[in-house]
Amino acid sequence: MLHLQPNNLLIQKTLSEAIEAYGNGTPLTLDRIISDFDYTTFHISNASEDKLTLALSIRTKAWQSVSQCTGGPGLVAYLQSKYANYSGISASSVPESGYDYTLLLDLGKLQPEAMKDLSLLKTLVLGYAFQLAFNEFVTLSAAPEGTESETNILHTIKYRDDENLFIKPSYDRITVIFETIFQDETDKVFGKVFLQEFVDARKRNRSIQSAPQVLFSHEPPLELQNAGAVASMNSSDTSRRFITFVLFPRHFQTPELQFSTLSHLTLFRNYFHYHIKCSKAYMHSRMRYRVDSFIKVLNRAKLDEEEEDIDQQSKQQQTRRTITGRKMVSY
Amino acid sequence: MSQSLRPYLTAVRYSLEAALTLSNFSSLEVERHNRPEVEVPNTSAELLLQPMHISRNENEQVLIESSVNSVRVSIKVKQADEIEQILVHKFTRFLEQRAESFYILRRTPISGYSISFLITNKHTESMKTGKLVDFIIEFMEDVDKEISEIKLFLNARARFVAEAYLGEFVY
Amino acid sequence: MSYLNNPAVVMDNGTGLSKLGFAGNDSPSFIFPTAIATAQPSSTKKATATTVSGGSGNSSSTNAFFGNTTSATAFNSSQTGSLLSNNLAGKRGTEDLDFYIGNEALIASQGPSYSLSYPVRHGQVENWDHMERFWENSIFKYLRTEPEDHFFLLTEPPLNPPENREQVAEIFFESFNCAGLYIAVQAVLALAASWTSSKVVDRSLTGTVIDSGDGVTHVIPVAEGYVIGSAIKNIPIAGRDITLFIQSLLRERGEADTSLRTAERIKQEYCYVCPDIVKEFNKFDRDGEKFAQFVVESQEKTRKKIVDVGYERFLAPEIFFNPEIASSDFLTPLPTIVDHTVQACPIDVRKGLYTNIVLSGGSTMFKDFGRRLQRDLKSIVNNRIAQSEQLSGTKSTGVEVQVISHRKQRNAVWFGGSLLAQTAEFKSHCHTKKDYEEYGPEIVRNFSLFNMV
Repeated sequence: MLHLQPNNLLIQKTLSEAIEAYGNGTPLTLDRIISDFDYTTFHISNASEDKLTLALSIRTKAWQSVSQCTGGPGLVAYLQSKYANYSGISASSVPESGYDYTLLLDLGKLQPEAMKDLSLLKTLVLGYAFQLAFNEFVTLSAAPEGTESETNILHTIKYRDDENLFIKPSYDRITVIFETIFQDETDKVFGKVFLQEFVDARKRNRSIQSAPQVLFSHEPPLELQNAGAVASMNSSDTSRRFITFVLFPRHFQTPELQFSTLSHLTLFRNYFHYHIKCSKAYMHSRMRYRVDSFIKVLNRAKLDEEEEDIDQQSKQQQTRRTITGRKMVSY
Repeated sequence: MSQSLRPYLTAVRYSLEAALTLSNFSSLEVERHNRPEVEVPNTSAELLLQPMHISRNENEQVLIESSVNSVRVSIKVKQADEIEQILVHKFTRFLEQRAESFYILRRTPISGYSISFLITNKHTESMKTGKLVDFIIEFMEDVDKEISEIKLFLNARARFVAEAYLGEFVY
Repeated sequence: MSYLNNPAVVMDNGTGLSKLGFAGNDSPSFIFPTAIATAQPSSTKKATATTVSGGSGNSSSTNAFFGNTTSATAFNSSQTGSLLSNNLAGKRGTEDLDFYIGNEALIASQGPSYSLSYPVRHGQVENWDHMERFWENSIFKYLRTEPEDHFFLLTEPPLNPPENREQVAEIFFESFNCAGLYIAVQAVLALAASWTSSKVVDRSLTGTVIDSGDGVTHVIPVAEGYVIGSAIKNIPIAGRDITLFIQSLLRERGEADTSLRTAERIKQEYCYVCPDIVKEFNKFDRDGEKFAQFVVESQEKTRKKIVDVGYERFLAPEIFFNPEIASSDFLTPLPTIVDHTVQACPIDVRKGLYTNIVLSGGSTMFKDFGRRLQRDLKSIVNNRIAQSEQLSGTKSTGVEVQVISHRKQRNAVWFGGSLLAQTAEFKSHCHTKKDYEEYGPEIVRNFSLFNMV
């Protein structure tokens, strides 16, 4: 597996099973927890006695910070508009307790196509901040030259405990900054190698010239310093890094491109950590191979009691044995 | 193989061959004990020989401490940078975790070195001394090779991963 | 630390099937074969894309999410392939990303460029390289969790060597940086799962577990959470043998369809355990309604074959109780084995082992399996008591024999894990990443037991 998919496989599977069971006249009793990256938990349960409707609730670490992003219709309204086209999906006015947002699904009306979008719920929540930035870019770039080239708009997504994601729209670009930190010593070193390659990849390989520019620094980039967001950060940690993606208009011209860009960016950290783990797993298998080959060399040093054994064995091959190990003696 | 590696390994080989002349020796202090004298605090100087220190440069060294019934060989594996450091650490720990099947591997290296072997007279009695030396020399060669291969792999993988990710943004 | 809110991940990797899911759920989220299809080091990479997608076309008709619809390894997608500088993918070590697990592996292995293997043999992990990658894909693709944020509960068979535990810890802490790890013995989890049954009054961890999967049946005595290893007994009769037995009966009769699949379906849908075979034969002969018909639909749903289902309905599960009808080299009935197992245990725990016999695994799901076992075992025990009363002349207080079957029996091990891992104290019993870094892999040799009251 090279790329992580933005959709949640388990939500799709659970819902399609529920619909199938409903179609067969034996609706499932559901009370399932499903998890996703970055402190996201879903809960699928029966919303009504007759098992006709399901409640799909989401709780995610990023919810609070994303819903505080200003300048749009609001996160709830945004999600509402995303699911409005599908029949059988309605938002619950009061989210389930302990969760941030609840959708009610009518199994009788739910179409199979809707499932894909439902499984993208988490991506959509994070995507709201990106969507705002895309919209602001349009207004900023439409403004006449020189009037308001710098804005103070900065969207912050606090999607993990120590790691945040910043989005800054500007008149000619959108800057996305990941703040990242490594707990593990090995990861720190591996992460450094990987990040360096992210920075260099675009310069080296002509065919991906049109990809966003990637920068990497130990200090908060200027975009953050201006906005005064840095003050809250604990800058004492030396493993803190800032990875900046500079998106140009070509990356978000159409809604499809916008979605593809944001779904990749929201998974950046996961992708990056996933591959660090994969390389460690690969290293382990190399080392297992090495251990085996070293042991082989070492066993060569052993005095040859085995050689006599082999001689004996070749003799024994003539004396046949039963499956239990008894000798078959022929007279 | 670079020019200076060959003499370095040859030096280690001859020193090891010289050091691996071990005999059974019961402990002088504890009755009916037979312990590797190089590992225990020793009051009788005649049991310990002068340690041999072979150094190619400050990063690659071998320390051979010999005694009447045991030899401790410690190897410092080349660690040029942070990555190699962590790789060597991981690799040696992985080996030490499986010390059981290595017979002569010490579970912890002595301080200042990456990995240590402890060869006792039991080992030289059940194994061919020449082949044991071969093993250690081969080990030294292979560890360096393995570390640099993993390092290359890591860089290649990082590049591949980064290009694959950014490639998704090319429309 | 906010990972406290995240549900723990429970993984039960068996010889045949892996069950994955989150603590607190009543059933595993994913159940698929513990199989991995790895790319063969051949130059036939090009063929992969076509064959794999061809395979998924067939399977997607049944259920899209067990098929190969979500292409996992997009190596062959033309876009990425052409973009990579000097084609690194082919050159250096990306083969380790090119693999499938579970049902996808079964499909992929039908193509020429993947080879299938099962990393778990007889309950124990044999191929750690494959297992590590199997876990990697389970966690990131199927469960979608960042292991740094979750605690993990894994299972192991009884008598698993401690070195294997250390290997598991090495993988989970070093490769995956998981937040915390608990490794539980499968039999103990199966006992915990039985607490949901109404028959269980005290939540003790003493009992005999009969775990019957596809390949082998184990009888495992557990005393206060510790497996009595010396008394474990294995029976070479399990689900697969029952299926083969049904198949042989179908063949003898010359039914229209005698495939293994059909036999398996008949086993799952029609079989039950009867109290007495002779009476049951008579019942069948008197009452034609007992005979059933099973309809096999061909894949295109055009032709239908009708298979009669007769005596095998009760004969098939009977091989647990009368093995001689199917096998010639193993002849001891299950109740006798259970009795031997308990008798091999220390005398002070035997009563507890008799009163709490817990079933686990798919092959114990036959209707009335527990009742029959309880009856047969009771008669063995009562005979022995009567004999000893006669010999000693004293009156015995009697031994209660109770077999507990419950609704979660099929995935009892996983469910027990889910129950334990959702409790508040679970995390205090885990070893964390910090512990691992301080003490090294040997800490996983010991796990404190749950005292669930």
